[in-house]
Amino acid sequence: MQEHTPSEKILERVGALRWKAGHDFHDELVESLYTDAARIADRAVTRKGERGRFDMDRTIDRLVTSRWLGFPLMLLMLTVVFWLTIEGANYPSAMLATLLVDTVRPLLHSGATTIGLPWWLSGLLIDGIYLAMAWVISVMLPPMAIFFPLFTLLEDFGYLPRVAFNLDGLFRRAGAHGKQALTMAMGFGCNAAAIVSTRVIDSPRERLIAIITNNFALCNGRWPTQILVATIFIGGLAPAHLAGLVSAAAVVSVAVLGIVLTFVVSWALSRTVLKGEASAFSLELPPYRPPQILRTIYTSVIDRTLIVLWRAVVFAIPAGAVIWLASNIQVADLSLAEHFINFTGPFGAFVGLNGVILLAYVIAIPANEIVIPTILMLTVLTARLAGAGDGAGVMFEPDSLEANAEVLRAGGWTLLTAINLMLFSLVHNPCSTTIYTIYRETKSAKWTTVATLLPVVMGFVMCFVVAQVWRLFS
Amino acid sequence: MLSLFISYLVPLLVLALLLWPRRGYLWRWRRLVRLSGRVLLEDGLKHLYDCEYRRRTASVESLAGVLEVPRSRAAQVLIQLEAMRMASSTLEEGVALTPTGREEALRIIRVHRLWERHLAERTGVSRVRWHEEAEWQEHHLSAEEAEMLSEEMGHPAYDPHGDPIPTAKGEVPPQSSLPLTALNEWELGRIEHVEDEPVEVYQRLIEAGLHPGVLVQLTRLNEEEVRLVADGQHHSLPPVMAGNLFVYPVDEEMPGPYDSLDDLELDESAKVVRISPACRGLERRRLMDIGLVPGTAVSMEMRSPTGDPKAYQIRGATIALRRHQARHIQIERGLDERATAAQPNVSAEQQI
Repeated sequence: MQEHTPSEKILERVGALRWKAGHDFHDELVESLYTDAARIADRAVTRKGERGRFDMDRTIDRLVTSRWLGFPLMLLMLTVVFWLTIEGANYPSAMLATLLVDTVRPLLHSGATTIGLPWWLSGLLIDGIYLAMAWVISVMLPPMAIFFPLFTLLEDFGYLPRVAFNLDGLFRRAGAHGKQALTMAMGFGCNAAAIVSTRVIDSPRERLIAIITNNFALCNGRWPTQILVATIFIGGLAPAHLAGLVSAAAVVSVAVLGIVLTFVVSWALSRTVLKGEASAFSLELPPYRPPQILRTIYTSVIDRTLIVLWRAVVFAIPAGAVIWLASNIQVADLSLAEHFINFTGPFGAFVGLNGVILLAYVIAIPANEIVIPTILMLTVLTARLAGAGDGAGVMFEPDSLEANAEVLRAGGWTLLTAINLMLFSLVHNPCSTTIYTIYRETKSAKWTTVATLLPVVMGFVMCFVVAQVWRLFS
Repeated sequence: MLSLFISYLVPLLVLALLLWPRRGYLWRWRRLVRLSGRVLLEDGLKHLYDCEYRRRTASVESLAGVLEVPRSRAAQVLIQLEAMRMASSTLEEGVALTPTGREEALRIIRVHRLWERHLAERTGVSRVRWHEEAEWQEHHLSAEEAEMLSEEMGHPAYDPHGDPIPTAKGEVPPQSSLPLTALNEWELGRIEHVEDEPVEVYQRLIEAGLHPGVLVQLTRLNEEEVRLVADGQHHSLPPVMAGNLFVYPVDEEMPGPYDSLDDLELDESAKVVRISPACRGLERRRLMDIGLVPGTAVSMEMRSPTGDPKAYQIRGATIALRRHQARHIQIERGLDERATAAQPNVSAEQQI
């Protein structure tokens, strides 16, 4: 055998050169590739007639990102979207409720009587499972079918990247990614859809922050609770002609509190458990372009609305069964629901809520939309109101605001209960659809647990503090 | 009911906590003891190798200092290493590694440096924690896993502090760099290695922008302070800190000083000269991805309401960058004022 074959010599030479190639020869190689590519492209590609940027674009950009108008314009845009969503959803929601609850349900009931189903089976199937589904669809579908297309239109038009650009300064200080502004805005529509949209953030650390804090964006399912409670208890404090404005302001403050909490919690996370350096941030601000309306509506309804709705319906089925069973299974003269309410009542009072609210939030984990109907049903059940409601385990919502207010006052509600319910509705665990989505996106039981339990604990602490301060001054 | 619960469930729970395989306290405690024994041995090997590489003599005292254990424990470690035929000690030369010991030490160092490189390129873990994380990881990754990691990163030759990563066969180049203080005044050197311990010193050096690859020039050297210019900025360091920078002399002109992209005023244009060597790995590639290569024309397009980020016009696209990134991009201002003012996306014309 020879001592050195030519190939061995080459390998030896390579081994020696390896250390002389320089520390960053990978980077240098990539850089020269890019530089060459750019030079070749510049030589070969003629960009005839293409203008750098339209003056129109520049004018809009300077306006929406200006120091004084940037933030107000953003808030205005957000308010308009919400207003369109809430106002626009009212009518179709009522129509769906009339159809599914007032028309189809009696039909189902008479059908059940005809084929001779026992009362408990028809109760469980129709008043429990079917009704929960009906409520979820009628409360959830219209606002989502309006919000998501509007959101996608703004995205398509090119405005949303400017929002991220405006807000990045704040997110940077909180140790988070500027694109979290986009996922937060999406969260106002639906947290589950927003969790999926955090895929735009490519740094895992910053993406986790965005996922965990997304729950603080008040989703569509929680707006009805906020609006109803604010109208009855807070709007009621103001003179009649100001009532609407005052209650709207109350709801907006809760939403703004959610945004503040997003920053605070992001900040705290990025300084403790999710410590790390800010990743490279580059955000393209595309030119404005007319949105493709029909395509947008189609894709946002299919991709976002229907998928989210389907998941919510799947989770609402067991919830409906649980609600009906809990209200109808009697142990020692009281239903399971009443046992739970009596048992948790003292704790509820301690944090300025009540047992009914706590039970409603346990039952409504699958969908926040059914919180209000459940609370009303449980209040009627426990306060033993005659003539109100449709029976044990049957969720309902009275037609008039006065009837709502009457039921809640009879349940012993005060202004403190109302304020704390609004706070708790903002800061509590995400719905099961969102929890499931968090698990699917993070693939980590640990972070899913953090994202679930952190807001619950925060919510209880917050309600407790408010209750103590309240009791101190009244 | 409650008493039943207490009398049966609680003892059961305690037992489970103690004895549960892999997660119980007993198991964890045993692993901790065994691990810390192995960790000490491996850290001892690393120290012996470090002394050999830097041509210093290892002793029981130096080992005790590095491992932060009493001298008696350090002596135990040495005896154990000798029993394993990884080290041998003679009266004249102190403690030295045997070939087997060197091989083992290089394997651990390889994992350590590969992991630091991985943290630097792929994760958001902050610079000051790289070393600490790698100190833990080096005892847990097998040689095969290290090989996979290396392959995935394209077999890097150096770690982010500028130290060579031993190859799988255990090859390392001979040490060639000098401490910064060995340079003459006005001599130029390129930083090759930044010592990552103690971490406080490392943090200050890194914050000053003194990374491997950066060109430095010594402007004054005396007992109290070391003054130097790096990347166009003047620094003054105590000599103790400057000794943690290792450089090799180069025969080049000092480039710059350059302005950075962040210095641009609204609507002002400039040409990219280079991306600072302090910006490396993924972050650097990301900037090149958006077309920030030498020669590209850029102009500042808008400022966000909070002043950071700012948006720049780069190759026909508007792209927002945070100040932290913009500072890495070194530019020459006002070169193509006429061309850029007429049409922001001029690079096409320039080259023709």
